[in-house]
This record gives sequence, C-alpha cells and structure tokens, in this order.
Amino acid sequence: MRPYNAYPQPYYQPFTKRNCQMTHPIHILLVDDDPAEDLIMRGLMKKVMSVEVHLHYCQTIDAAFDFIQTGTPVSMVLMDNRLQQCDFRETVPALRQQGYIGPIGVISSSLADPYFQKFEEYGADFRIDKAELDPTAIEFILREYVTRS
Amino acid sequence: MKATIFSPPSRHSLAGQFLLSKLPTTLLFQCDAVAYREPHVKMVVVEYVGDGHDVTTDLKNHRRYHHDSDLEKALNRVDFFRIFHTMALRYGFDHFGVLQLGNEGDACTLTNRLALHDLPSGLANEYDKRHRFGDSAVFKSLHTSSIPSIWKAEDPHPGHGGDLLGQLGFDMLMCVPVTGVNGARYAVLFLGDAEDMERQAHFALCYDAVCAFDYFYRLVLSNKAGLGLTPRETEILRWISHGKTASEIALIVSVSEHTVNSHTATILKKLDVVNRTQMVAKAIREQIIQ
Repeated sequence: MRPYNAYPQPYYQPFTKRNCQMTHPIHILLVDDDPAEDLIMRGLMKKVMSVEVHLHYCQTIDAAFDFIQTGTPVSMVLMDNRLQQCDFRETVPALRQQGYIGPIGVISSSLADPYFQKFEEYGADFRIDKAELDPTAIEFILREYVTRS
Repeated sequence: MKATIFSPPSRHSLAGQFLLSKLPTTLLFQCDAVAYREPHVKMVVVEYVGDGHDVTTDLKNHRRYHHDSDLEKALNRVDFFRIFHTMALRYGFDHFGVLQLGNEGDACTLTNRLALHDLPSGLANEYDKRHRFGDSAVFKSLHTSSIPSIWKAEDPHPGHGGDLLGQLGFDMLMCVPVTGVNGARYAVLFLGDAEDMERQAHFALCYDAVCAFDYFYRLVLSNKAGLGLTPRETEILRWISHGKTASEIALIVSVSEHTVNSHTATILKKLDVVNRTQMVAKAIREQIIQ
C-alpha cells in the first residue's frame, strides 16, 4: 500500500499533522497488562498522520483509575479485554464508576467469545481485534468518537 | 394476482421447522411478483399477513461466505468499518467507501454522501473544496446503470473536471451499486493502486459487498421511524425528560457521552421529531414515559 502522501496529486497538499483538520493532540489511554502492547501501540500511533496522538499507558485497572483521577484529559481509552483475573465486563463498568464518560474501546486478540456481543451493555463503545488495529482504523475511530463529539 | 408458494419441509434447518410449525405449508396471498417453483428453494423470505401481522425473515439460504460470522455479530459502525476495511484489503484495495446516491440532480458533496469510509482524514473535504462530486463521471455513471464498474486512472475521461480517480489520487476504483431493502440506492466503492482485477475476484468482491451492505443498511442506515424504543433508549429518554444533560446521563447510565448522543439521535429518528422538547412531548403523548 502506497503511503498516502506519495499519491500523485500536485494540487493537493499532503495531509500531515500540521495541516490536517484535527489540530489538537489526542490523548489515548491504553490499559493492558502486557507492556509489549504499549510498544506496539506506540509504533502504530506514530504512523497516524492526521493527528498528533499522545499515548498514555497503564498496566492495571487501578493504575488507570489513578491516571483518570489526576485530571489528565483522556480522549479515549483502549482497554485490553483481559486484565489479570477480570475482563472488560468488570473493568469497563468500574471505569465508568470513576466518572469517565469518554469513549472506551475494548481491544483483544480474539473477539470470538460470545460475551463480546454485549459490549454496549457494559458501557463500552466499540470492540476491535488487536490485529485489525492499523493507522486507518485508528483514524476512523478518532473521527467517529473524538472529533465528532 | 394470486400466487401460491409451497414451502417443502426443511431437513436441516431449525428455523424452517419453526416456520412450518407456525405457518401452513401452503400460503395463499396477494402478491405482485411472479413466484417460481424451484425444487432446490426450501425457503427464502416469507412475509405472511393473516389475522395479525407476522413477518419472518430467515437468511439461512443467503450465502455470505467470507463474512458470515462477522456479519451476524456486527452491531455498530465500527464493526462494519472492520468488515468493509478487511474486505478492501483482502482484494488488494487500500480503501472503501459506502456512498449514498440519492437524486442525480441534487447538489452533493463527497463528504455528505459518504455514509461510512476509511479514506485518509481530510481527503473528502479537500476534494469538495476543489471539485464538484456531482460532475464526476463516476457519480453520473452510478445514476445511469446498476452494473458494477471498474475505473482506472489511465481510462480516457470526458474532461470537465470529471476525473474522480485522478482528483483523489488513486489508480483503480471499483463501484458496486447496492440497494437497501426499501429501495434506497447506495454504492460501495473500493479504491486502490492495483493495475487490474481478475474476473473471479471481481465477482466475489461484488457479492461480498452486497452482503455486507445489506447488513449495514438494516442495522445502521435504515430509518427506523415508527419502531419501538429499546429499554436503554427509553431509559435515556426518561432522563432527558428530567432535564439531564448528555454528560450527566452518561454518568448516571455508565456509558460514554457519545453513546448517549447516539441514542438520542436514534430516539429523534424513531419518534420522528426534531428536538428534545418535541421528543419529550411526544413521548408523554404516546405514553412511552409518564
């Protein structure tokens, strides 16, 4: 796939973090018990050209609670399905109980479990397979949940 | 005209058995369409209006191939983004778009016509600043024929600013005209830089696009005016009637503010009203809330 900026369109300015519509940095909180996911996600966010993403990372749900309480503006939370002994059916409602009303996306290496069909009932906004997360998907999700609101 | 449709017993389908237990095997009703009696057709869609109103839809005979499981599980726009995005990549395209066609004569912009897409951020807006989508040969062609089409950058163009591919900066575009169950016309577009597409892949992508759009239309796009509110929508409606703001309702109901706004938009559509005040007034009139 050709990088978008390489498209031959002489009368278009390439869309970059400088001239895109989304000018404010977006703060995303990643909650995942595997630190390797933080590294992968950071690499992914660097490829998102249309917006400046600041990725914050917490390894546990308690650390996420503390982070939210600090008042750092969090535009979106990406919540790993399984954190130690619990899954999103416990962590997402708990995060809502802390007063977070921004979008929460559940990420997982497999969305096959039937309980994923009820993600909306637990206060999550969307679910996505980790393998499906690419810069295009991130940009779409930010358009849907962050910039529109 | 009067038509008789025979529904032979299904050997495997539980849904078929359910239907047979509920409905007579022979239905007699007024219909406008010609019914073909084919031995291999066990049951497709049955619409039966008897004493009450009983409509049953079974999609077991509708083959969905690659996306069967995903389509059955899809719930919201992100789920359909995943399906269309994966579909585009699988067939060698980079991007997709679901385009609402409407009337050809209506003023239109690419941004407003795209119901769902994964184009680079700002591309559609930049296009609209420089060009008129309604003038493009692709847009006009979609109003001329419903045959799927493939467009290439090297194709000769009639001029007058109609070269959509060149303007967007892609080498190939595939258009699959589709319709919603109520006849609303859309097209699924796939954009990329491939040189050409094999016949079988073309057929397969057309079929996959039709299937995915059918689900997308029924679950997300269709105007659900007149249908009942879900329990969650009723709950949000009740809080709105108590004067709560979207952020307050989000805190109370433990969902995101985005979800509250999304539910509110759906309620407006279902109740066929234009603002929150009219929404609450109508809900009280209709005794949805006290």
